[in-house]
Amino acid sequence: MNPKTLIIGIGNRFRGDDALGCVLVDNIQTLCLPDVEVITHSGEPASLIDLWQSRKNVFLVDAVSSCAEPGTIHYIDLQEQGLPDNFRSYSTHAFGIAEAVELARALNKLPPKIVFYGIEGKSFAATETLSPEMMAALEDIKTLVVHNIKDTSNA
Amino acid sequence: MSEGTKTRTIKVDYLARVEGEGAMYLKIHEGKLEDVQLKIFEPPRFFEGILRGRKFSEAPDITARICGICPVAYQMSAVHAMEDAFGVTVDGPLRELRRLLYCGEWISSHTLHIYMLHAPDFLGYESAVHMAKDHRTEVERGLQLKKTGGEIMSFIGGREIHPVNVRVGGFYKVPTKREMQNFREKIEKARDAALKTVNWVSTFDFPDFEQDYTFVSLQHPNEYPMNEGRIVSNKGLDITAANYDDHFEEIHVERSTALHCVMKDSGQSYHVGPLARYALNFDRFPTDIQKIAKKAGLGKVERNPFRSIIVRSIEVLYACEEALRIIDDYQEPVEPFVEIEPKAAMGYAATEAPRGILYHRYKINEKGEILDADIIPPTSQNQKMIEDDLWKFVPQYIGKPDETLQWHAEQAIRNYDPCISCATHFLKLDVERS
Repeated sequence: MNPKTLIIGIGNRFRGDDALGCVLVDNIQTLCLPDVEVITHSGEPASLIDLWQSRKNVFLVDAVSSCAEPGTIHYIDLQEQGLPDNFRSYSTHAFGIAEAVELARALNKLPPKIVFYGIEGKSFAATETLSPEMMAALEDIKTLVVHNIKDTSNA
Repeated sequence: MSEGTKTRTIKVDYLARVEGEGAMYLKIHEGKLEDVQLKIFEPPRFFEGILRGRKFSEAPDITARICGICPVAYQMSAVHAMEDAFGVTVDGPLRELRRLLYCGEWISSHTLHIYMLHAPDFLGYESAVHMAKDHRTEVERGLQLKKTGGEIMSFIGGREIHPVNVRVGGFYKVPTKREMQNFREKIEKARDAALKTVNWVSTFDFPDFEQDYTFVSLQHPNEYPMNEGRIVSNKGLDITAANYDDHFEEIHVERSTALHCVMKDSGQSYHVGPLARYALNFDRFPTDIQKIAKKAGLGKVERNPFRSIIVRSIEVLYACEEALRIIDDYQEPVEPFVEIEPKAAMGYAATEAPRGILYHRYKINEKGEILDADIIPPTSQNQKMIEDDLWKFVPQYIGKPDETLQWHAEQAIRNYDPCISCATHFLKLDVERS
């Protein structure tokens, strides 16, 4: 039986702060949280929707670029609302995470609890390292996200 | 969108349900179409420049990054061009595995376009999300079918997006016979879903529109083309990839960061993709696929670009059957790759990406370093063709309200499943009436 909580890190490890989702879940994985599965994912919609089935809690962690202060954590309860349009501009794909969420909603395939953490990045340059600002903020972001995941999962 | 006494302007700044970012501008003066511009404003990505100075062996991994939807096509054109340069032939099970990997990409890419991007046009929905509320079974089928295509890519390529298992000469790791057999059941289910897809899309209403296209695709003596074949047209062209530059020309137009392609002799547009492949290779399909195509209402040649959705569904069905054949015939290769000895040479290849022929040319030095690269994706080749379709198609709807006109124009663009990210290596729509 699958762990009831799934944490999914999404991003491109070769595009600077776009790797935030992946790096964060790498760090969360080391905590070995009980009844929690942690994975990274390309963001491909069909397999994402499949992964959500039979899970009670799903947390998506991804970098965003919405002109907010770098390091800002955007918390979006996807049961309550969709992803804002200004989170979509860095995808070149016509069918991405936002569409996967809305398609799952239309098909009644959203898990009971599904939350998106959008971490505002600073630089999305072609590099394998996070920006110094994000490196410095990573531990604090992880603590906040993990704390929130625990609270939300137990709510 | 504005309407004056003489000038009618429809402006759509961002074309939806296409890969990448671009715009369309239509100018109509006193009821007559005066200008059509497919504008591509996604910034150029300079992949050919990135390749210069890199090792020949890096080309498949670097070029795979051009597209998240058709990375296999880039990898295949890259490895075939390198092998052409070094005089290496990859055959037997390794060749079959490459074809299986391509089947996965055709299934995944075509299914995404059929179900999520194009079908809503025919059924009157703004998007697949809106369509899903009324067509739940179909949308779920599309998701499953796409997923199986992706799983084939992951199985052979190591992962679905930007596969990592492809190398010049073959693969880093190949599956066992048992692993291949374990995949069979999934593809059998996909084949059933693919047949239902053909039956579904063949019931759509299609606008009455045909063009006397110059179709260009690969042609192989005994198989429906994916990785190999001569570049042929329905107007007498028959060349190898090495002669591509003699017959096709890239030209820069101010409105597009992607180059336009034309036939060198005529300066005219040409059509690549499923309709071209189908028209030039119908007799390469197995008999059962030919019968299903006929039952779906297709002739041996299909000139209505709106019916390309049926042709795509036939190609998905074929890719499923071909995948099953490859799995059943599979014998594990002795080595996962053929050893490569680089030398100073030119290498050329064209393979059939889901959207049409993808041409690669490389100049390599004696150390195996890339001195020069040229990559011509299918959307670049179809760009002028899309504009030409609009020049002929839009007048049919010129008297209709702007919303209707815009709907049909966007649908006509999506006939080509344009991948603008590839072509710049992005779409908006402006219609101006005066």
